Amino acid sequence: MNLTELRKKAEADFKTKGFPTTKEELWRFTDVSALAKLELSNDWKPSDLEFQSLGSYCLVFENGKLSTGKSNVGGLPEGVRVGSIMDRIDPRLGTLADAQSAFVAANTARFSDGAFIEIAEGVELDSPIHLVYLADADGAAFHLRNFVSAGAGSKVAIVEEYIGSSNATYWTNAVTEVFAADGASVDHYKIQREGVSAFHFQTLEAQLGANAVFSNHAVTLGAGLGRNDIHGKLAGEGGEAICNGLYLLNGKQHFDTHLFMDHAVPSCNSHELYKGILDEKARAVFCGRILVRQDAQQTDAVQSNKNLLLSRGAKVNTLPQLEIYADDVKCTHGTTIGELDETALYYLQTRGIDPVRGKAMLTYAFANEVLGEMQCAPVKARVAQLVHAWLERVSG
Amino acid sequence: MALLEINDLHASVAGNKILKGINLTINPGEVHAIMGPNGSGKSTLSNVLSGNEAYEKTQGEILFEGKNLDDLAAHERARAGIFLAFQYPVEIPGISNMYFLKAAVNAVREYRGEEQLDAMDFLDLVEEKKTVMHIRDDLLERAVNSGFSGGEKKRNEIFQMAMLEPKLGILDETDSGLDIDALRIVSDGVNALRSPERGFLVITHYQRLLDYIVPDFVHVIVDGQIVKSGGKELALELETEGYASWNGE
Repeated sequence: MNLTELRKKAEADFKTKGFPTTKEELWRFTDVSALAKLELSNDWKPSDLEFQSLGSYCLVFENGKLSTGKSNVGGLPEGVRVGSIMDRIDPRLGTLADAQSAFVAANTARFSDGAFIEIAEGVELDSPIHLVYLADADGAAFHLRNFVSAGAGSKVAIVEEYIGSSNATYWTNAVTEVFAADGASVDHYKIQREGVSAFHFQTLEAQLGANAVFSNHAVTLGAGLGRNDIHGKLAGEGGEAICNGLYLLNGKQHFDTHLFMDHAVPSCNSHELYKGILDEKARAVFCGRILVRQDAQQTDAVQSNKNLLLSRGAKVNTLPQLEIYADDVKCTHGTTIGELDETALYYLQTRGIDPVRGKAMLTYAFANEVLGEMQCAPVKARVAQLVHAWLERVSG
Repeated sequence: MALLEINDLHASVAGNKILKGINLTINPGEVHAIMGPNGSGKSTLSNVLSGNEAYEKTQGEILFEGKNLDDLAAHERARAGIFLAFQYPVEIPGISNMYFLKAAVNAVREYRGEEQLDAMDFLDLVEEKKTVMHIRDDLLERAVNSGFSGGEKKRNEIFQMAMLEPKLGILDETDSGLDIDALRIVSDGVNALRSPERGFLVITHYQRLLDYIVPDFVHVIVDGQIVKSGGKELALELETEGYASWNGE
């Protein structure tokens, strides 16, 4: 199917399906009717938002469109291509992203820009590729499509950072497809700090070849209503997928994470560590599904979701789901929902640390476990900064 | 002026009356040992003194350097110079020992009107204090007490005390769970901190610790009251006779 046909089919799919309702099992806890009612236009305007580049290469999208002026992809090594997806449509586009999803269908039908990244076999990049999405156009819809192809044995770190304005209501609907060939290593990060009036939805699909390593860290601070759908497909023996996340929510924010790890072949590992901190009336949903197919012997899958509630009004629904059809596997999962440890707080107090500072220290410590897993130093530093700023905001 | 003066102290935890009229005075430079059977109120006393809100003082007064402690929260008591070495030091995953110590030292310094220590000065202080407590560098980098052995946790407590330089050190069964080598290190650390200005309240179940940290006074606590006080020889007496003669009265 060429792109025109693909889009036509997707538009028809979206029209038939429409937005999901809470009657659907996968959307039981997340009501998107407010988004469905939104009047959206396609008028483009430049963005006033600022950003700080995280490495040598950055691609900046301003209210959904690539800004060549703000981007900087000079000096890329040979064999690396970073640019607009509108200039390069890979034949594999749309083969991973699930057409059953209304959000993916809407994206495929309407995407108007996004990043195309291709790393040739054996090429290693020493600086992360920073994808920046600035959004402050009230009443706009941004359908962003990203495509990453990491050749055999290549190595790359990619950061998607979504930055929004607190006084604009808009819809970000992103889809990212990642193909990691045999032995490739893709270290992927997503930092989502949209405005609180924004709707943010993203589907991330990654397929791993033999001995490939894919890691994803999803850091969520923004959007009033949002969701990450993350699917890892372990399609080659010896693959390793790491999907970690941190969500910090307050006010009336509602954020949903649906994680699906598909072990299709033997001897693969997957690790998932998700931590959430919720204040005021925030609500989080975590659904982590691990599927171990019949052929996927010697699978090692670990999943953990831990939540810290800073207020009585905050709420979490966490649903781990293991589906195992192979008999020689190691799979564990665990979830916790709790409050700050009073004994630890007292201990800090007996050392002269006041309770406000002590609470902030303990809350940061809770989040720090996820930061400890991040391999890319500049990203880790940025996230640490964001967590500290968030804590100052909620405790102040 | 007395360093610590406790008059007719009554306290409850979860509605149960534990302390039933404690009287005790500690002067600067003195080491007092409190001994007693399990459940006699030893740990309650240390928690009430350090300001644990789970413990309720129902009667009496506690004066620290003449100042009533009632209105001071735990962190304010710590800043004023009261240090509690925990019986069960709390593990805090995600906060490194160094980061924690720096926050603590600077909180106390701020209260005393001293300048904040920068990274270099702080490291110098750590270097100076860590040797006597045999604190290895990896313990400093690890999360507070996380995965520490029993001995490492207790050494870390005394190390913190050395860093914070309190006026009153309360050791809550610091000897529990220690082998003889660890006991010696911990005791050396405490003895190095003994000074004419500093007082100690050493709470213990066994006489053994007092061979190393020799007290000036020994008190026996039974059922929430001090039933006998004396010199260091009282500890030896208890060792041979046990607490049995006071129980059930």
